[in-house]
Amino acid sequence: MNLLVPALRRRAAVLALLLAAPAAYAFVDDALSFAYEAANPYAERGWIIREDAWGGDLEEGGKKRVAAQLFRGNSYMFFLATDVDGAVLRVNIYDAQGNLAEGKSWQRGRFAYAEIKPRATGTYYAIVEVVSSPEERTGWALVYGFQRK
Amino acid sequence: MISCTRAALGNCSTDGFLCFISAGSQVKFPSTVIPRLFFVLLVGLSSAAAQKPAKQIDLGQFPADTIDNVVVPVPSEIFSVLDKLGNPNWRAQLGPDKAYPASPNRAQVALLLGTVIADGFVAVEAEDSERVKEIGRNVLTLAEAINVRKSVVARSNSIIQKADARDWNAVRREFDGALQDVNQAMIELNDEQLAQLVSLGGWLRGTEVLTSIVKDKYSRDRAELLYQPLLVDYFNRQLDQMSPRLRSQPLVGEIRRSLGRIGPLIKKSPPDDITPGTVAEINDLSVQMVDLIRAKAG
Repeated sequence: MNLLVPALRRRAAVLALLLAAPAAYAFVDDALSFAYEAANPYAERGWIIREDAWGGDLEEGGKKRVAAQLFRGNSYMFFLATDVDGAVLRVNIYDAQGNLAEGKSWQRGRFAYAEIKPRATGTYYAIVEVVSSPEERTGWALVYGFQRK
Repeated sequence: MISCTRAALGNCSTDGFLCFISAGSQVKFPSTVIPRLFFVLLVGLSSAAAQKPAKQIDLGQFPADTIDNVVVPVPSEIFSVLDKLGNPNWRAQLGPDKAYPASPNRAQVALLLGTVIADGFVAVEAEDSERVKEIGRNVLTLAEAINVRKSVVARSNSIIQKADARDWNAVRREFDGALQDVNQAMIELNDEQLAQLVSLGGWLRGTEVLTSIVKDKYSRDRAELLYQPLLVDYFNRQLDQMSPRLRSQPLVGEIRRSLGRIGPLIKKSPPDDITPGTVAEINDLSVQMVDLIRAKAG
């Protein structure tokens, strides 16, 4: 059930940001490029990387909550990235009750990653965080993919 | 004097800290630095501990920091689970083998486009390359009717090429990409609400297929896939916020009413307790809505 579309669709969100804050345009777009670049090796290993994504910008220490519908039986990966050199990001996945639900996560340079095999079908939340950054605002993009096998 | 190799900073979130402890680092320091090192080590340890994710959080603490938008799953996210739970007869789920004519009713075309793209995902599961190619061409026709043909020409061609090559994962990605391209084009034309209808049409068709398969061979594991409160709320919210002009269209109004009936059916049950009766009810409603969308296309 379910189809497609949404939420930030990458360029749609970029467009929205462009209208709201022209300076944000470039760094969200760049962040998205980094996120897809990081996810690309997974696509080569059979993961389906969604074209749709989320994005925005945050101050240092800032967090955002992103809701996603996940299905038990699939594996999911979330890639968070920024174009800001030296920024440290983090992403963690929680279930609808607020329990940490990810199988593993890591942070590496401008990238952060979380992987989950949902124990139940339903709503999950990715908590996106800019842990530290040399910039006042840090553009970020979050892409996800799923594995059929 | 301290030196460290950048290569030693592999999986770290606190470069300065790992710089001191990584096995591959070249670390040299005079004795006067040792107390400072202990201090840095302690700070580093507490920082590392602080960066462990909390095992539980209060989701309510993010009310003002939540992204409202929802990425709607593509049908293949669910179809893949159905494949694992059995061997669905995907051919039985294929949509009508027909090309839909363009209609002047853009809302209807948007809904229909969503259902046709969902049909594409079904045809991929059935590994029916001819049907996939027909659907790829149909997407182009419908996109033209809502002035976004240019944005999906490349996708349509790619769908056809990759269906010929029977590269099914690539075809799945192209259908997903077609959706995003259509949405982007519509947003650029200030038609975001039509883009939402494309998404909704796809979700309805996907729901019809899912409930049909679960109804044929019920199991709790299969029925659990219907537990999608986030998506039902999302679509209901979008329909509620649509312009009066769109909401006043009979087709949109009918879908709004039917979706309002699906919501409680999906949300009232725990995810592992969606009964065969509930599945049948949701199936009836989704079949009616998809038939209505197609009927308006003539």
